[in-house]
Amino acid sequence: MGTSFRPVAILVELAILMGMIYCLFTGGKFVLSDLGLDTKYYPFIKWTLIIMGFLALVFFAAHLITFYPRISPVSGV
Amino acid sequence: MDSINPLFWTRQEVYIVKIFMPIVIGFLFLCIGLLALFVLSFWQQHYRLWRLGKNEDCSGQIATRLKTLLAVVFAHFRVGNEFYPGTMHFLIFWGTLFIFLGKIVRLFSYPIGLTNPPQTIFLYASFISEMGGMLVLIGGGLAVFRRYILKPPRLETKPNRTLIFIWGVPLLMTGYFIKGYRIAAAGVDIPPDWFSWAPVSYLVSRLVLVLPTQPLNELLIWHRVFIHALPAFLLFAYIIVSRSPLQHLFLSPINIFFRSLKPKSVLNPLPDIEEAESFGVKEISEFTWKQLLDLEACTNCGRCQDVCPAHLSEKPLSPRRMTQNLKEHLWREGPKLLSTPPPERDPEPILGTTVSEDELWACTACMACEEVCPVYVEQIVRNIDLRRYQVLMETKFPSGLKLAIKNLMNSQNPWGMSRGLRAEWAKSLRASILSKGADRGILFWVGCAGSFDDRNIDVAISLVSILQSIGIPFWILGTEEGCCGDPARRTGNEYLFQTLAQANIEVLQKYGVKQILTMCPHCFHTLKNEYPQFGGEFHVLHYTQFLADLLSKGKLKLTKPIHKVITYHDSCYLGRGNQIYEAPRKILRAIPGLKLVEMERHGNRSFCCGAGGGRMWMEENIGKRINQMRTGQVIQTKAALIGTACPYCLTMLGDGIKEMGQEKTLTVFDLSELVERSI
Repeated sequence: MGTSFRPVAILVELAILMGMIYCLFTGGKFVLSDLGLDTKYYPFIKWTLIIMGFLALVFFAAHLITFYPRISPVSGV
Repeated sequence: MDSINPLFWTRQEVYIVKIFMPIVIGFLFLCIGLLALFVLSFWQQHYRLWRLGKNEDCSGQIATRLKTLLAVVFAHFRVGNEFYPGTMHFLIFWGTLFIFLGKIVRLFSYPIGLTNPPQTIFLYASFISEMGGMLVLIGGGLAVFRRYILKPPRLETKPNRTLIFIWGVPLLMTGYFIKGYRIAAAGVDIPPDWFSWAPVSYLVSRLVLVLPTQPLNELLIWHRVFIHALPAFLLFAYIIVSRSPLQHLFLSPINIFFRSLKPKSVLNPLPDIEEAESFGVKEISEFTWKQLLDLEACTNCGRCQDVCPAHLSEKPLSPRRMTQNLKEHLWREGPKLLSTPPPERDPEPILGTTVSEDELWACTACMACEEVCPVYVEQIVRNIDLRRYQVLMETKFPSGLKLAIKNLMNSQNPWGMSRGLRAEWAKSLRASILSKGADRGILFWVGCAGSFDDRNIDVAISLVSILQSIGIPFWILGTEEGCCGDPARRTGNEYLFQTLAQANIEVLQKYGVKQILTMCPHCFHTLKNEYPQFGGEFHVLHYTQFLADLLSKGKLKLTKPIHKVITYHDSCYLGRGNQIYEAPRKILRAIPGLKLVEMERHGNRSFCCGAGGGRMWMEENIGKRINQMRTGQVIQTKAALIGTACPYCLTMLGDGIKEMGQEKTLTVFDLSELVERSI
């Protein structure tokens, strides 16, 4: 069960992690905007965050595929 | 798998010492930083802006303020008046509080020795957190459904609102995942009561996968705690530093605490009216600090918009939008003002940039917006402050109002009738009412409508007839009575109001008046609540209070039946302004044969007739006519009579009936007329 369930679990974890990253980046962008950052910097910030988000996605996917557990607590296998 | 922890995580010393404690200590340090950030940001973003405003004394009556604050925050007084949003907010609020309660117990229990040896409180803390999370998920789900599926027009969804929902979901999920993983890591033969203490996490624990050794599992738990705690911490930082709608967490309670404790729509006199060079509000720093706090505290919930007669009649005013626009104006202009020395400041005017003239003059000052606001934002006084600048500094009035103001100046009544004719209506009555002096009994303050308007003269005569029939001694000022000043004050002409008020107070004091009976709720409100600002302290009663009291004491007996169905229209200044809802209904219920039915909008939710805030004297060229809308609401009740206790409402509803061709089926009466018929 553990092995067959693993890809789904990894996808759920990945969605949560990327959700977090999205929130942190978007929150950061709003803070800069609220603090009065000039709008001319918005495209730069947007692309920086997109690139960082993509790097985070690659890292998390690789990390989870490599290290994510394989044993089910129900069956112990 | 290594050893199983038999008592849930209460004996997970490894977990507590190696994983939990370092995170607790780390986050305690971060909390100090967060607190410092909050203080700095609060000062920088909010307090400095409020300090731009003028002084306003909101101190005193601490116990009352605290009581309201606790009632609104914890019992959802006002918030809960609307079922769906009230329930939604209640679930989110209490759910979050439960989560915090559970977290705090768990965060601080170990350092103070609660968990070693194991304590039951730890298990309850777990349960409370679990339930809190579920409440937030249900409440949040309701909020998402309402905002993104139902989409009521009053809600405005900006990206920073959406972000809160997105942020909340993974936070809750990772919270459940931590505990679920800890249960899963405990092994296959876990004690049966674990499900009871952590039902959701237990279900999660059946789905997650685990690593083969305890040290590896500890490492994974550490990962999960970090992934949960860091974004939670950053969410707090985000709320503090940005202008997120979640700042209502602290701005709304502050505003509720400092709310005005005066009756609604009581205006402050302009200070130094003879000496001052500017009157009213032209730019943002001319508001008081509390009015600026009001702007920031507005949660954009839109309840005010849903009840505003101007908005519902398709006029360009939305109290929600106006407050939000002023808030953005404050955020835009405030920092500029702060960074410029006062002599060099050139602030942007509000009128014409942020608030339009049509918006400003559309307000009927009916207080419906203030009655429903869950955070006690005060709109009426603010609007009239803006009107004061328009009228006193720019001499700008809506066209119809010019004549009424001119009449008030010249004749002390908005109809422009000669002051010498003020007592003409009473000449056919017993002459003794014109004999003046406090020893003559109660003073009947007739008001301009009762003195000059044909329809309302009938009401004044009815009231006199009632008083005479039951032998209540009373008298009137006659030609010495002037307009109370309400139309001038609500339209921003404070100078004229003060002139009228002071003249009236002098006359009233000359005769040693103690008790005044009014026919008009506007006169009642002004004399009772605003004349004391100028030394005019009198015991003022509206006639509905007076008659209801006579009925209670058995001094007034109504015997002749009126076999009709009636609906009562609450006057704004009697109801919302002065909380008089029951007395008029008591009178109607005392009339034999009369059946009272209520409109959907009655009591404190009553819909304005359209005449308040000086609108009685202005043209209504935009959108639907408010009096017709109200008449339409009456028609829905299938009542044959409308009862009211306000000259303005009587006039407006009478016009509404005519305009809608309902003269044959619907008639409007003042309550005194019905009482007179029933005696």
